[in-house]
Amino acid sequence: MISPAFQHPFGSTIDRTALSARLDAANSWEAKNRLLVQLARELPGFSDTERNEEHRVSGCESTVWVMTYWHDGRLQVAADSDSRVIKGLLTLLLTAYHDQAPDAIRQFDLEGWLAKLGLTRFLSASRGNGLRAIARKIVAAASDK
Amino acid sequence: MSLDISALRAEFPLFGHYPDLVYLDNAATTQKPRAVLDAERAFYETSNANVHRGPHRLSIKATEAFEAARAKVARFINAERDDEIVFTRGTTEAINLVAYSWGAANLKPGDEVLVTALEHHANIVPWQLIARQTGATVRAIPVLADGSLDRTAFLSLLQPQVKLVAITHASNAIGTRLPVLELTAAAHVAGARVLIDGAQVIAHESVDVQALGADFYVFSGHKMYGPTGIGVLYAKAELLAGMPPWQGGGEMIDRVSFDGTTFAEPPARFEAGTPAIAQAVGLAAAIDWLNTHDRAGLRQHEAHLCALLDAGLRKIAGVKVIGNTADRAPLRSLVFEHAHPFDVAQFLDARDIAVRVGRHCAEPLLESLGVTGTLRVSFAAYNTVRDVERFLAALAETLDDLA
Repeated sequence: MISPAFQHPFGSTIDRTALSARLDAANSWEAKNRLLVQLARELPGFSDTERNEEHRVSGCESTVWVMTYWHDGRLQVAADSDSRVIKGLLTLLLTAYHDQAPDAIRQFDLEGWLAKLGLTRFLSASRGNGLRAIARKIVAAASDK
Repeated sequence: MSLDISALRAEFPLFGHYPDLVYLDNAATTQKPRAVLDAERAFYETSNANVHRGPHRLSIKATEAFEAARAKVARFINAERDDEIVFTRGTTEAINLVAYSWGAANLKPGDEVLVTALEHHANIVPWQLIARQTGATVRAIPVLADGSLDRTAFLSLLQPQVKLVAITHASNAIGTRLPVLELTAAAHVAGARVLIDGAQVIAHESVDVQALGADFYVFSGHKMYGPTGIGVLYAKAELLAGMPPWQGGGEMIDRVSFDGTTFAEPPARFEAGTPAIAQAVGLAAAIDWLNTHDRAGLRQHEAHLCALLDAGLRKIAGVKVIGNTADRAPLRSLVFEHAHPFDVAQFLDARDIAVRVGRHCAEPLLESLGVTGTLRVSFAAYNTVRDVERFLAALAETLDDLA
């Protein structure tokens, strides 16, 4: 059975254009933080058993869990974090990579997108499980295909 | 003498660039007073040359400045002799030096190194690495629920096979100050040597290595208003004399030949390569800077900030302070009932309040206290009552936002 954690709107009903518009509208750090927490609410969490070592991306400041599988040649991605700000940031990664074909995943310029959104600081935040490290894991999964 | 904290704060140029910054990450690193920045710059402008080897006046001047810094450090911690001071990159390198030199020469299978569960990884992992090489074992003295050391367990672990007790003077993660005088005396009675990690106390109180009886005492310059890249290993002269080199290179040799190389006397034996000369000069300036201020008064000021913080935290629902011994370094480690420390720190950062979150390089400690991470508030002399008030107000609002 496929985990309900994959039943999220990011990458399917919410696309990059829609998400970019919401983030652009948040014009202070405070507003961005609030929006990220709001986005986190729209992402279903993992079950306790899914929050396991196999899915964990190592980090010091917060913990991130990622699950992937392939469906009809498109990568399915689910992600969760104990931090709501990080979970909100994960919705960006999901919007970029979830339900996408391998070529689209490899070609997507995540850093350019985050720079445009003014979120570059999170690329390497939280030593070891910054967005860059998590994205690398997802892209590696796509490259195996 | 009454303290003028706003005048003291004005000595730190960084706050001129960030007048609204509430900097509460001092246990990670402190800001630098102008006197330290000026001393480093003046060294490069007027005295720069390599040390200990130039037949020219500038090199002699640089060597004098470097050795004067060593003498200043020796007086600062009341070492008996200047050559008991070895310059390192910081606390971590100082501990590694003891592990790879003294440890490699003195530990054998069956021997034990005792550390406490309060240690920073820098005072755990070097011992694990050298234990793997020598066949020795590393054991941890447990902590009690309040963050204090389990002294009964310490005494029962202190068996004849224990060759070294490596303990922190104060925990970087939760602030607990250890009774190092008493622990050192007990360790000596049992025949063990003692290393004290002073990284978290050196900025806040006077340290007297002879009074403590420490065999090794280590600290970093950058946590006491000095530069990064410079730290100190104090070791009793008799111990240093018997310790082999741990890194080879220039400066640390007596004679080199392919038939066999002989080594310099301490401390040069342990300072291979060009040292951090300007940073040593900067560290000496930081010591001078501290000595021009009323250190006991600064300590009281920091304790006052902690008391205000504790009182304010009690009025905010859903906050728990981890570790509550009476005797703590000026820092507090917090967890929240309904919010993740990282999220709280992000919201605080948006209001120009800088704190640290995570496991603070002390995973065994947090695990034994049953928490996965905390938000740490740590003070320095330039923090103000207003800093505490702004932190408390921002924290209360943030926790409301995240509820």
